Amino acid sequence: MDPFSVEGELLNIHSAFHSGSYQNVIDFDTTTLSPENQLPAQVLQLRAQIALGQYDESLQASDDIPDLSAVKALALHSAGKSDAALQLAQELAENYPENSTVQVLAGTVLQAQGHSEEALALLSKHQNSLEAVSLTVQIQLQQNRTDLAIKEVQAAKRWAQDSLLINVAESWVGMRVGGEKYQSAFYVYEELASAPGTSAPLSIVGQAVAEIHLGRLPELIANSIVLNVLAGKNTEELESQLQQVDPSHALLVDIQEKSEFFDTAAAKFSAKVAS
Amino acid sequence: MQSSPNMLTKFESKSSRAKGIAFHPKRPWILVSLHSSTIQLWDYRMGTLIDRFEEHDGPVRGVDFHPTQPLFVSGGDDYKIKVWNYQTRRCLFTLNGHLDYVRTVFFHPELPWILSASDDQTIRIWNWQNRSLICTMTGHNHYVMCAQFHPTEDLIASASLDQSVRIWDISGLRKKHSAPTSISFEDQMARANQNQADMFGNTDAVVKFVLEGHDRGVNWVSFHPTLPLLVSAGDDRLVKLWRMSDTKAWEVDTCRGHFQNASAALFHPHQDLILSVGEDKTIRAWDLNKRTSVQSFKRDVDRFWVIAAHPEINLFAAGHDTGVMVFKLERERPASAIYQNQLFYITKEKHVKSYDFAKNVESPPMLSLRKLGSPWVPPRTLSYNPAERAILVTTPADNGTYELIHLPRDATGAVEPTDVKRGQATSAVFVARNRFAVFNPASKQVDIKDLSNSTTKTIKPPAGTTDIYFGGTGCLLFITPTHVSLFDIQQKKQLAELAVSGVKYVVWSNDGLYCALLSKHNVTIVTKALDQVSTLHETIRIKSATWDDAGVLLYSTLNHVKYSLLNGDNGIIRTLDQTVYLVRVKGRSVYALDRNAQPRILEIDPTEYRFKLALVKRNYDEMLQIIKTSSLVGQSIISYLQKKGYPEIALQFVQDPQTRFDLALECGNLEVANEMARELDRPKTWSRLGTEALAHGNHQTVEMTYQKQRNFDKLSFLYLSTGDQEKLSRMAKIAEHRGDFTSRFQNAIYRGDVEDRIQMFKEVDLYPLAYLTAKSHGMTEEAESILEAVGLTEDQITLPTLQQPLKVPHPIVPTFKSNWPVKAAGHSSFEKALLGEVGAADEEAGADLLDAEEDVQEATLARETLDDEEEVTGWDMGDDVEVEEDVDFVNVESAEAGAGSSEADLWARNSPLAADHVAAGSFDTAMQLLNRQVGAVQFAPLKPRFLEVYKASKTYLPATAGLPPLVNYVRRTVDETDSRKMLPIIPRDLETVASVDLQEGYAAMRSNRLEDGVAIFKRILHTLLVNTVSSEAEVEEAKKIIATAREYILAMSIELERRTLPADTPENLKRSLELSAYFTIPKLEVAHRQLALMAAMKFAFANKNYGSALSFANRMLANGGSAKLLEQAKKIKAQCERNPQDQIDIDFDPFAEFDICAASWTPIYSGSPSVSDPFTGAKYHPQYKGSVDRIAEVTEIGAPASGLRLFVPSQF
Repeated sequence: MDPFSVEGELLNIHSAFHSGSYQNVIDFDTTTLSPENQLPAQVLQLRAQIALGQYDESLQASDDIPDLSAVKALALHSAGKSDAALQLAQELAENYPENSTVQVLAGTVLQAQGHSEEALALLSKHQNSLEAVSLTVQIQLQQNRTDLAIKEVQAAKRWAQDSLLINVAESWVGMRVGGEKYQSAFYVYEELASAPGTSAPLSIVGQAVAEIHLGRLPELIANSIVLNVLAGKNTEELESQLQQVDPSHALLVDIQEKSEFFDTAAAKFSAKVAS
Repeated sequence: MQSSPNMLTKFESKSSRAKGIAFHPKRPWILVSLHSSTIQLWDYRMGTLIDRFEEHDGPVRGVDFHPTQPLFVSGGDDYKIKVWNYQTRRCLFTLNGHLDYVRTVFFHPELPWILSASDDQTIRIWNWQNRSLICTMTGHNHYVMCAQFHPTEDLIASASLDQSVRIWDISGLRKKHSAPTSISFEDQMARANQNQADMFGNTDAVVKFVLEGHDRGVNWVSFHPTLPLLVSAGDDRLVKLWRMSDTKAWEVDTCRGHFQNASAALFHPHQDLILSVGEDKTIRAWDLNKRTSVQSFKRDVDRFWVIAAHPEINLFAAGHDTGVMVFKLERERPASAIYQNQLFYITKEKHVKSYDFAKNVESPPMLSLRKLGSPWVPPRTLSYNPAERAILVTTPADNGTYELIHLPRDATGAVEPTDVKRGQATSAVFVARNRFAVFNPASKQVDIKDLSNSTTKTIKPPAGTTDIYFGGTGCLLFITPTHVSLFDIQQKKQLAELAVSGVKYVVWSNDGLYCALLSKHNVTIVTKALDQVSTLHETIRIKSATWDDAGVLLYSTLNHVKYSLLNGDNGIIRTLDQTVYLVRVKGRSVYALDRNAQPRILEIDPTEYRFKLALVKRNYDEMLQIIKTSSLVGQSIISYLQKKGYPEIALQFVQDPQTRFDLALECGNLEVANEMARELDRPKTWSRLGTEALAHGNHQTVEMTYQKQRNFDKLSFLYLSTGDQEKLSRMAKIAEHRGDFTSRFQNAIYRGDVEDRIQMFKEVDLYPLAYLTAKSHGMTEEAESILEAVGLTEDQITLPTLQQPLKVPHPIVPTFKSNWPVKAAGHSSFEKALLGEVGAADEEAGADLLDAEEDVQEATLARETLDDEEEVTGWDMGDDVEVEEDVDFVNVESAEAGAGSSEADLWARNSPLAADHVAAGSFDTAMQLLNRQVGAVQFAPLKPRFLEVYKASKTYLPATAGLPPLVNYVRRTVDETDSRKMLPIIPRDLETVASVDLQEGYAAMRSNRLEDGVAIFKRILHTLLVNTVSSEAEVEEAKKIIATAREYILAMSIELERRTLPADTPENLKRSLELSAYFTIPKLEVAHRQLALMAAMKFAFANKNYGSALSFANRMLANGGSAKLLEQAKKIKAQCERNPQDQIDIDFDPFAEFDICAASWTPIYSGSPSVSDPFTGAKYHPQYKGSVDRIAEVTEIGAPASGLRLFVPSQF
């Protein structure tokens, strides 16, 4: 039986992880789990720690168990040691391509460092791993291949319709497709946000993003910058706030880039007569 | 046979055998005549016995209410017919005549007649007004068991144990007894001939038809209310249906099913049903058209004897061996569901309709559920799923079935649904976007199903579960007779349980945080985690509930709409004349479905509960608002406030001085108390005020109350303790004046005034004491004079040992000068709010006054709040930017081939508009476009706008942990999925510019903040330059705004320049005068131009340029507007007209047409060469060609340009 399935004992920790309640994952009592579920639970907890920026435990993980080395690779990457992470991830991808944890985590590292094709190749070997599917979908979306992502989700829905991950992945795709799909995506996030097991920041953010796309304009942090611009408010404060929280957030990087681009582009034009 | 799920018992009584029943036509009353000789009057709604009437001997078999009068009639085995008044509770009279048991008695619907059927084989008609027998009908040759009037025609039907049913024509009787004078002889003859006289020659009532068909005695016969039909019930266990025409009557069909004597039968007043009861202990319902059994209800031991129908309401009563039961055949609660602003409900015709609360319109039918369940059973519940636009309907038919149906996109009519999924269950609710739960009591399990109706999960509900309800997303509420439990479907565990008995309905609040559990007589409010918040009890049945947006529960009972706050405070909002099922509250409207499943809107006054809610939430502003705007008074609200400990708020509502006084004391508001005490001026009031004031330490008030009460002793002591010597001595004077020696003595002691004491003792002849006092205070002379006066010498007196004389302590601090520090209870925040607001209003008024007094001076150009702000007509736009239709399409190369191209790239490809390119991040192409369209060359001022547009284009959706978020692109074409038509959203659309920015600009002009104004109008230009609009009309509007902004920037720049010029040299003065004249040229709003003109006029006048000043004054007068300005203009005009000459010659011809060069601020007279800016349209002298436009600072003056594009028709 799939331990993450609806009936499995890992359901709650799994849902918590994927809805972004990382602290709940770390606090999860794993002692009552059956032995075969101990390792996946540990992996989830380590990943939650990485997500919260606590790398130490993961970096010390044993190299003997491929699952844990995969976690280590992710930790290395997140800690900024990109080269070591990439090397480890590539090694793991070569040696344990069948291990689902390796697929997902090494895939994440590969994608994060721009090796999308390698990541997709590794992920394509998965055996009904929902995480692999959702990661694949994300990579495809990042490559702007919405068509492939739709196919991937459709295929996965045939065997795992009820899964949180697939629902969320479907809503990612929906946010690209637009139209009525915005509304469906919104419903998915709304449902997640209001259900007690999955109510977490990620669900709420997702809900807010969907609302923006639907042309409704509520408020939320990274998105409220966008939102505040749309609503005609000042965003400097929020931007500096974001700068503190996450200086490398894609939005900031992007704006900086564009600001420079503007200056170079604008320099090409000038008035014939200086005024 | 199990009891039918549809027969709903509303009331049951316990008594001896019930033989006759009658419903009161208006009130919820039922008369029951018993075998034990008693007649009972019940209120079946409250379940109480109102009265008993016991004058008959032996069983009473028939009763009937009079349709309008407070009368009823009864007939029994004592052969008597009695007429009663139920108000006076007395038997009015008895009609004697029958010779055997009286079986039934009925009033005629309009005539003053009573119809009785008796075992003496006769049917009699009595006039109850003159208490006489007017007709006896003979013909039956056995007991007549029942006789009834036709509801509208002059017919009587009778049933007899002789196995026949007879129809009698009584038109003769009516003619004879109504207006006998109008009957001519011919009429009488005709009637005599037409009607066959019976064997006794009686033509008043003649047998019309004899219906034979029953094989045994017939117990009952009833007319159909509207159709020419009859139904009869007999000892042959059959119920027979008969039809009649003018000339004949015949048997239509037989309803077979009773397995014992059928006692009575009647037609359903509104539906095509027959109801019958029998000694086989059953009530049966039959389809009138098919004569098939629809449903039946069986009692265990009691045989049924009689059945009656309520004339108006869907209610029946049946009498049996041990009492009566009042019941309904079906639920009348229409199945409904609410989603946001829409109500979905099922009508009586089983059509699904929706109702829009926002528009208050009812949709046409969307679906017909005719085939759902059985035809006589209405659906029970409806659950709506907005994500899938699907409904789940349950019906109790066939032991409970549900159907899952997708609603059609548009309501086009009552179509039969096509794709229907169904199954067995008594309850079915949506629990998530793609899941619903069904409960099957037979298998005692809850199945979670997906939309293809396959079970994905099975849950064992707690034992005894009767119903399930939605419990918040992913959760279910299980209802058992004693508990409600909350269950998480995903985790498969019970989250909470609450002991509440008999819950029937669950109503969630709009925000999903609270939920009301309704049982028959209780409302329990719980949180979403099932923690009990409050509970309340109603003696009258609770029917429905709905939540106000503010979190107030409104619920309906049988006859009231009431409210309950979360804390359990409740009250009545309005009464109801008929039962309704509340679905929604919006402002002053309560939406409800009535029993015919019609949406209704009830007007309510929400003031009371809103006020209480505001009180609970301590929202004083709102309370203030309510107090001010509504007439919220009344004892109930005052006592409520008092009870809740808010006397200071209650104070705001009260006018009555006594109550105000009491409340003021309670909240320690001495000022008000004082005021009220003055008004009341009663000793008791003063004394209470005094006590309270003393407790506060407010001794000035205390003093006043003592004065009012003439309480001199206390007053003296008060002065003593506050150290007010002056007043104390006045008290002494008063005491002396009053001749009150005790008081005088007391005051003297207080004051330490020995002389006065001695004097007083002397006055009352207490010389020993006077002497002693004098002596002890060392006043020897005085002592001796006393001795002298009484003729004694010192040695004759024995004195006790003298000690130190008494010294009166004096207060160190003269507290009388002001009050002691007073208890700081003073004002509640509520009162502060009240006071604060008054203060603010005063200030405002003051400010207004100041404003009015201020002089009109040039620097304060704009302080005027110009009242005439209406749109200036006839905008002269000058040269408009031309729109050319050639598409300067910039093609953006697609990105790497491996991955797809991002949506931003698509935007740039999809649109020729610069704004879309900016949003796509393709700044270079956007700049190329702007360069071509309007000759834009200096982009730096546009940078904020570029980044603003760009920032608004994307959202970041967190996805897999460890990877950057997914970027999504925000579209303005929200409904578009075709990648070739997707376009980005552009912030600050035209509407925002027009309604926000432009107004800001005007405000800057009015308030004389010209630097700000220039910046604002520049921003407007930049915003419009990088923007999109959605129609040609909006393009025109955008152009207008561009022109307006240009004119304002020009005008403001000129005025700013003038202000920087020192007026020290003649050249500068001349230039200043010119600039102030040019300031009047740009086409501003009239009100603003008046300001410019006013400034120019004054400036010119001050510098003796009377000619210019005159022309400005004339222009001002021509413009009209604010009276004050015109007054000034008139004055100046009058002065200038005396000498219309300019002292300083300036370059300004008031009579010529000219533009102002935006760079040099000099006139460009018409006809002289000029260049204009391709974007703003500003005019320049030719030498400025090729430099950057001074208005928007973006474009090159005189650059070749195709014109700004903001709109592409094909995009919309």
